[in-house]
Amino acid sequence: KILHFGACRVSMSMTEIRAGFTAIKANIQSRDPIRTLSILSHPQSLHKVKSSDRCCITRHLLTFYVDKVFKHCRTEDSFVNRKISSIANSFLSARRKLGQCREQNNCVCGEESTEKFKQILANYEGLNVTSAAMKSLGELDILLDWMEKSR
Amino acid sequence: SGELYCSLPNPRNVHFESINMKNVLHWSAPEGTGDGVLYRVKYSVYGVGKWIRKPECRNINRTWCDLSNETSDYEEQYYASVKAFLNGTCSDWVETTRFNPLTDTKIDPPMVSVSSTDKSISIILTAPEKWKRSPEEESVSLLQVYPGLQYNVSVLNKKTKKRWFFSINNNTLVVPWLEPGTAYCVSAQIHVTTPVLDSSFSK
Amino acid sequence: GDALLPAPQSISILSTNMKHFLSWSPVVVQGATVRYSVEFQGEYEREYANGSWIPISECSLTTATVCNLTDDISATVAYRLRVRAELGAMRSRWGTLKGFFNRVTTSLTPPLLRVLADGYHLLVELADMGPAFQFRVLYWKKGQESRVQQKVMKEVSSVVHLDTMEAGAEYCVKAQTHVEAINRSSSFSPTQCVRAQRDTSMWL
Repeated sequence: KILHFGACRVSMSMTEIRAGFTAIKANIQSRDPIRTLSILSHPQSLHKVKSSDRCCITRHLLTFYVDKVFKHCRTEDSFVNRKISSIANSFLSARRKLGQCREQNNCVCGEESTEKFKQILANYEGLNVTSAAMKSLGELDILLDWMEKSR
Repeated sequence: SGELYCSLPNPRNVHFESINMKNVLHWSAPEGTGDGVLYRVKYSVYGVGKWIRKPECRNINRTWCDLSNETSDYEEQYYASVKAFLNGTCSDWVETTRFNPLTDTKIDPPMVSVSSTDKSISIILTAPEKWKRSPEEESVSLLQVYPGLQYNVSVLNKKTKKRWFFSINNNTLVVPWLEPGTAYCVSAQIHVTTPVLDSSFSK
Repeated sequence: GDALLPAPQSISILSTNMKHFLSWSPVVVQGATVRYSVEFQGEYEREYANGSWIPISECSLTTATVCNLTDDISATVAYRLRVRAELGAMRSRWGTLKGFFNRVTTSLTPPLLRVLADGYHLLVELADMGPAFQFRVLYWKKGQESRVQQKVMKEVSSVVHLDTMEAGAEYCVKAQTHVEAINRSSSFSPTQCVRAQRDTSMWL
C-alpha cells in the first residue's frame, strides 16, 4: 500500500504488519494493566498532527519503536516473539524508505512534530521500561490507524 | 454506598459487539444465577484516567448495554466493565479487552439497487452509514471512514448458473450486452484492505 | 557432545512466489533418528537485538529436512538462517546458510490464467496466489495490438469480468503477477484468445 506523508510517498506492507499485530494484540494488551495512561494518544492525539508534519512524526515514531520499544518486548511465548520480529523488521524496512524522503527534503521536522514527539517520549519515560515498551507495542494499532489515515 | 463484600460469581464473556460502529456491550449472566440479577456498567477512554458510569445501564436486568454514544469517536479506544448484584451481594467488575471501533467493528453489506433494460443492468451501490445518535444528525458514510473501501459485485445468470465477479472502487456498475429475457441475480460485498474488513454479500 | 554430531550440510533456500523453504541434507546416524532445529535472524535482530536468533517452533526438533519460513520472513530485509542436528542430549554446531536471504529475490512465476467468453462478455479465472499478490491483466482486440487495456486485480475469488466484446470479434488476454511488498512483477502468462458470440438477430 502507498502511504502519503505530506510530500513523501512510501510503499509499506501494512497488511502484513497489521496481520502480525492482530495475531498478538490480545496477548500484548493483556500485559498492560494501566488503562489510565497512553503513550501515543493522550494527552495529545496523533490525529491532531498537521499534514506537513506527518512524515517527520512517522520517521520519529518508527525510530522510537525500533530503538526503544521492540527490544524490551521479548516474551516467553515463541509465537509472540516471532510476530514482534516480523513487525520490527518491517518497521526497519519502512524507516529506510522514509530516510530516502528525508534525503529528498520531503520529510522536514516542524516545531509541532518535535513537540509532539517530546510528549510521546515523556509518556514513555514516565513508566518503567518494560511496562512502557509493552504499552507502546499494544498501541501499535493506534499508530497504524493514524498512518493509514494519510492515504 | 460502601463497597459490598462481593462473593457473587462474575458476569462472563464481557465484550463489545459492533456493527457499522454501533457499539453494544454484551455479557452472559454469572454462572449458576437464576433470575433477579441486576447489573451496572461503566466505561473508560483508554489513556484517560477515569471510569464513567452509564446511568441508563444502572441496575438493569438485561445483559447488554448500548455504548455507541460513548464510543463514537473512532480515533479513541475504550474499555467497558460490568458488575452484577443479587440479594445484597455482588460480583467483581469484569472488563472487556481494549476496544478499537475502527478495527473491531463489522460492516453491513452495501445497499444494492438494480435497474435493467432489455439487454443491460445498472447497479448502484450504497455503503452503510456509521451509527449516529439521531436521525437528525448528519450522516457519515463508512466510505469516509475507510477511504480504501471497495465493492465486490457478483452477477449470477440464473439460466446458465454462471457467476461473474466485478471489483469496483466507485459505486456504479453497468453490465451491458446481457441475454434478453434472462434473470440475473446481483449481490455485493464491501471490502476494506487494511484494516482487513469484509462485509458479507448482500441478499 | 557436539563433535560427534556433524552440522547439517548443503543448506539452501528455495523461494518461489513469496513462499520460502529452507532445506538441508540429512545427518545420518545408524539406527538413530536425528532431529533438527531451525532459527532465523532478521536485520533488526542483528542491528538492535544483540544479534539474537529466533527459533521457529514448527521446525524445532523436527525430523524433516525442510522448513517453511514463509510466515517468519515477512519483511523485505536481509535474513540469516541456521539449522542444527540434535540426537538425545547431543547437539551439532549450527549450520548457517551462506550469505543472507532477502525475499526480494523470490522467483515469481506467471499466473495460471483461464480466459472465457460468455456471450459478449470477456472473463478470466486466475489461481489465487496469496495476499501478497496483485494481478495485472492486459487485453486487446485481435488486430488492434496497439490499443491494449489493463485491469489490476487484488483478490481473485473466481470468474472475474474483464469487459464486454464486440460481436464476433476475437480478444486476447495475458497476465502477470505483481508483489507490492518487493515491488517486482512476474513475466507474462502465455496469451490466450477467445471469440465473442456472433451477432444474432434474435437479440436485435
